[in-house]
Amino acid sequence: MIMAKPKIASVWLEACAGCHMSFLDIDERIVDLLGKVELTATPITDIKEFPEVEVGVIEGALGNEEELHLAKELRERCKILIAWGDCAVFGGINCMRNFMPAEQVLREGYVETVSTVNPEGVIPGKDLPALLPHAIPVDRAVKVDVYVPGCPPDADTIYYVFSEILEGRIPSVPTDIMRYD
Amino acid sequence: MSEITLVIDGVECRASKGETILQVARKNNIYIPTLCWMEGLTPIGSCRMCVVEVAGNAKLLTACTTPAENNMQVSTKTEKLTNYRRQILELLFAGRNHFCMFCSQTGDCELQRLAIEHGMDNVRYPFLYETFHNDASDPNIQIDHNRCILCLRCIRVCAEKVGAHTLDLEKRGWGTNITADLGKKLGESDSCVSCGACAQVCPTGTITLRDFVYRGRRHDCDDQVESICPLCSLGCRIKAYVRTGSVVRVEGISGDSPDGGQLCHMGRWWLPKSTERERLSVPMIRSGSSFREASWEEAIALVAEKMKPALKDDRAGALVSELSTDEELTVISSFFRDTLEMKKMDGFYGNMLRGFVRGFKPFADQGVRPFTGAHNILKSDAIVVVEADPQEETPVAASYIRVSTVIERAKLINVSAGKNPFEGITDSDHRTTKKGMLSLLIALRKAVEGAEEDVSPEVKATAAILRNAKNPVVVIGSKLAEEDPRLVTEAVNLAVASKAFFEDGLGVVPMLRASNSLGALNTITGENDWVSDGQLDFLYVLSTGMVSEDKRSLEAMTRSRFVVVHTPFMVHPLVNMADVLLPAPAWFERSGHYCTLEGERRRMNLVTAPLGNIKGLSVIMKEIAGKLGVEMQKGSAAPCENVYEAKAPSDAARTVDSTLFAKEVR
Repeated sequence: MIMAKPKIASVWLEACAGCHMSFLDIDERIVDLLGKVELTATPITDIKEFPEVEVGVIEGALGNEEELHLAKELRERCKILIAWGDCAVFGGINCMRNFMPAEQVLREGYVETVSTVNPEGVIPGKDLPALLPHAIPVDRAVKVDVYVPGCPPDADTIYYVFSEILEGRIPSVPTDIMRYD
Repeated sequence: MSEITLVIDGVECRASKGETILQVARKNNIYIPTLCWMEGLTPIGSCRMCVVEVAGNAKLLTACTTPAENNMQVSTKTEKLTNYRRQILELLFAGRNHFCMFCSQTGDCELQRLAIEHGMDNVRYPFLYETFHNDASDPNIQIDHNRCILCLRCIRVCAEKVGAHTLDLEKRGWGTNITADLGKKLGESDSCVSCGACAQVCPTGTITLRDFVYRGRRHDCDDQVESICPLCSLGCRIKAYVRTGSVVRVEGISGDSPDGGQLCHMGRWWLPKSTERERLSVPMIRSGSSFREASWEEAIALVAEKMKPALKDDRAGALVSELSTDEELTVISSFFRDTLEMKKMDGFYGNMLRGFVRGFKPFADQGVRPFTGAHNILKSDAIVVVEADPQEETPVAASYIRVSTVIERAKLINVSAGKNPFEGITDSDHRTTKKGMLSLLIALRKAVEGAEEDVSPEVKATAAILRNAKNPVVVIGSKLAEEDPRLVTEAVNLAVASKAFFEDGLGVVPMLRASNSLGALNTITGENDWVSDGQLDFLYVLSTGMVSEDKRSLEAMTRSRFVVVHTPFMVHPLVNMADVLLPAPAWFERSGHYCTLEGERRRMNLVTAPLGNIKGLSVIMKEIAGKLGVEMQKGSAAPCENVYEAKAPSDAARTVDSTLFAKEVR
């Protein structure tokens, strides 16, 4: 009997896509990996809806209503959820805005920066998802099973985590390859 | 001390009573993580990283503050401890801004290293996102309180090693902060001596040095070289970090040494900053108002041509920096003094050194070493500072004086014609005029010896302090030696009368300024001061380019008809004086030894390979000798450590009537 390949969905939330880039750095091992798993909705495959998957991967912190919604949706549809990279694990670079109120973040970003020309002081937002008060790590909103810190995590670390999951284990990143930067 | 035995992680360890569990574990190569603890500083047990389990004790104990006891059963690596340690780290990360990706110290950070070591792949507590201020008021040192974990290492090093106690805590609880001078910003602090020790000990990215951040993490550097700082007579040990051929960071070597690994502002900033100065990389010959590049051959031929006639008429001289290594000074003296028999040789600090040598002579003649290692100030219980400004002359010795006075409660006595360099912490302060200095020193000495007549109450009080002191020390300023050797003798007399005897010599610390002053004494320091009024046809100047030349030396250069300047840097006004410029290796490109005030012959090591078309000093001297048609003689100068041999003075050391010998030596 041929077993169905486990499905993976990943999503790029409030982050720079560096973790997905680092994933591509596993180089030729990706061929081997694709033989064993099926990529569904990812930033690479451009499938919009998360199907039911075995492994969900979140890159990035949660900074607005849409990201919060996507994180919850992926959590519901996956068995194992991985927080990928410093932003998903700790909040990362997005936390720089947490030291001031969300309104001030928008004002500074769209009106008050020296390089901005915005005489009417228009702050976009009507048709956009509202900012959360803080950009938060994924585990503040949904349960996370595997944490992979690093900015970005090394390709080897990412490959190690996937290999372990394929072997049926829930891994934690060994201290000798863990990093926060 | 009684021996005890205890078991740590199943290993039987022997220890002395009084040692902490951490000390015993370290001696036996058993690792216990620490964060607030630092060798040489008082342990405070505040971070709780070093908690251990002790059989029979329900509480977890901090290894850094708990004394080891006989038959103790200690466990350092249980699951319970690892969990607690991880929790502590998570709480620290949740408390303030410890997001590594935008911190300059990531990769160099002890907090980060410990968190990774403990497998902290997430933080289970909510982040607080509290805002603290970032103190960027100091030109060199930045304090970002958002990154602070309140380990208090900076406060302790500032108080216990530097003796400045600029830093301390303000506010309470979550809002607790490091502050300077009871609530000022660091840049506005009066007590900060800008030594940067706080940044060296900071385990996180809180206190950083602008010159070093983003230039390479310590472990990213290509090389780490231990050497010494050549900028004052202490010769503090340094570690220079090299990245892509540049010195990117200079640090003191911490540990248990008396200085605790501190450097002063000179070692910390001047050394690394000097590496960015404009270099002289090829020989240059004056051409009108500027210079043209020349080959070594041409430059040396010109030097020899101008030197030859001047030598014959005794109108040639050499002015050499006392910051040069022993090896360099030996080459210089064997060429100029022994081969060419040149009489006019001196150093930039010649007058001051002659003052000390003459002042010390009567004591050296008694077979006593007239001074002691500067670190002995820390063992002293009464310090007399005579016309010295240690913060200027040898700043780390100023730290010793402050620590000894403020922490160890030694008495501090100032005797000066100018201002009191330790205003506020002196126990007695004697001010006089330049003329009154000799009689004041004599009066003090006589009062210590027991004179009762014509003694002012202040002098009497000071004499009582010195009589009762067990290990008094007299710190003699360089200005005193420049003024009159008799003053030096009288200051040493005061030490002898007070029975200031240490194992290596009399309890006197001369502020010699230049790093190799002792090495210069029997190689280049002249018999008398020809520099101030001599008119020469030829003058050779060897400068390290690190300390600006004084007026006396520069004027001597302007009066000379032909000047050869041998220097690593294009420093003005020195290079303006030159007719020929010869490139020299800079401090980080040289190696050799220094006879330091600590009584140790310390080695300076090559940090990076010399750049440009640079030749070694002995090669240059040999080539000049060749052009002059003379054979290089072997140097006759005794090694610097033999000049004043370290030995304990007996009680027989006697005072000298300076007014008698003064006439013959002057």
